[in-house]
Amino acid sequence: MHSRFVHGILSTFLLICLSILYGCKAAPVPPEVALAETQEHELWRAGAEIYFPREYREHKAVLRNGKDHFIAEQSRFVWFRNYESVQKEFSSIISNGNNLFKKIQEHKSSKSAAIAGQIVFFQNKLETLKKLTTLINEGRLSRRQLMTAELLLNEVQRLTEKGKFQEAEKKLRIIPVYTASATEAIAPVLNRYANKEQIAKWRAWVNDTIEVSREKGIYSIFVSKLDRKLILYKNGVPYKTYAIGLGKNGFHDKLHAGDLATPEGKYRITKKQPRSKYYKALLINYPNEEDSRQFARAKKNGLISTKVGIGGLIEIHGGGIEGMTYGCIALENNNMDELYHLVDIGTPVTIVGAIDYDNIISSTIKDL
Amino acid sequence: MKRLLISLTVALAMMFVLTSCAKQPTQEMNDSKAAIDAAIAEGGEKYAKEEVKKLNDDLTAAMDEIKVQDGKFFKNYDKAKEMLAAVKSGADALKAEIPARKEKAKNDATAALDAAKTAVSDAKALLAKAPKGKGTKADIEALKADVAGLEAALTEADGMMTSEDYFAAIDKANGAKDKAAQVAEQISQAMAKKK
Repeated sequence: MHSRFVHGILSTFLLICLSILYGCKAAPVPPEVALAETQEHELWRAGAEIYFPREYREHKAVLRNGKDHFIAEQSRFVWFRNYESVQKEFSSIISNGNNLFKKIQEHKSSKSAAIAGQIVFFQNKLETLKKLTTLINEGRLSRRQLMTAELLLNEVQRLTEKGKFQEAEKKLRIIPVYTASATEAIAPVLNRYANKEQIAKWRAWVNDTIEVSREKGIYSIFVSKLDRKLILYKNGVPYKTYAIGLGKNGFHDKLHAGDLATPEGKYRITKKQPRSKYYKALLINYPNEEDSRQFARAKKNGLISTKVGIGGLIEIHGGGIEGMTYGCIALENNNMDELYHLVDIGTPVTIVGAIDYDNIISSTIKDL
Repeated sequence: MKRLLISLTVALAMMFVLTSCAKQPTQEMNDSKAAIDAAIAEGGEKYAKEEVKKLNDDLTAAMDEIKVQDGKFFKNYDKAKEMLAAVKSGADALKAEIPARKEKAKNDATAALDAAKTAVSDAKALLAKAPKGKGTKADIEALKADVAGLEAALTEADGMMTSEDYFAAIDKANGAKDKAAQVAEQISQAMAKKK
């Protein structure tokens, strides 16, 4: 009887244990746990690791901590589980995650705006530099550098569109290397056109030439390289203006044979050629005394090879202004016809870079 | 009394079986980790960044499940094993897929580079038709330098192909192609002006 009673108690105990173990319903897992995990993934996708690595690491550490608390709770017996504190903790994690997400979005949007500003800045700069290189016929190295910079800028745009701001910024930092190199290549030419003393000297030559025309009642020619104009003066007054073409190095002052530069100085017509390779031509007396002195100085200072000659045969000729001369000044054939008949041997010809300090080069290089 | 002793022994034996027999799935854990590492070594970070992140997250979730079971009186690692097996098979599948993705990126980059090379050589061919020597216009000279700059970009893109940086090569090639088309247009305009 006693054994039957004990057996009954034991069976009841086992039944209670089994019902506790398998029959009790577990407390529901708070939805915040899964939400926090999804949020972490979204933060990663948004670039938290890239833009806010420290904050992201901290967020992940807090999330890990929360998960450990969740795991500890899950490890308890079903009827001891209580997710209240876990839920609270995960709500706070989600809230912090939302703040970080907002921070990332703001950061990205400010980055995007800053890069867009930089793109516009470099686009303008490249446009200016390209305009200047075209103006002074200074292609080659500087244009190559500008093309490289343009391609980089293109890549920056593509990367920005893809939201790859860090990579875009990395490329943006390289662009000034190429723009600086291009600027350096053209600076020696440009600086002369923005130099007040140099322009004053050129202006004085022009004034002398006009004065001679006025005093002697003759024609005189003045050529402005920057304006790409040849102005014929009669009795000290502008009589005709013609557009001109120059050579590859037309904006340089001629120093020696083969440099493709157009000389600057006060010359005169020494020969009229009714039939020339380039329609009709007016030969000038390059090199004059100043050119010879300059050439001798350059040789003495080792600026040019000892084997090179000073050059000559600088003309005002026809053939059209679109062509690239070897240092001569080219006119359209109909204009050449007109000029050829108006001037005589001995007519003064003054060639200068520019006569106004406020010219396109001086104003443009201020922005570089 | 004898029956009571038998019942107690059976109950104790069952508890022993339930609490002590389940062991951490160490082998599965190592296999899953090794499978992810293998996928990364194949180029996962470059060609399947998102998937690699997902696999790592899933592995963490499996490890968390193991921790949950570790803390339980009655351990059951079946769910963790399932999760680890899914991670492993996902990583294996990803590893197997990466060469195809790499190949696709390579093919895309090759096609982009070929298109860019064609565009640049078209521009160059146009330049060759431009008047030479003294008759060459200033803008043609400048455009020649532009084409030289484009050729330098193509050389750079070739280098990217060699170093298997296909996505960067695609960007570089597409940029060069677009620019080459613009330059070709400018060359045509400059030549038309001359006529």
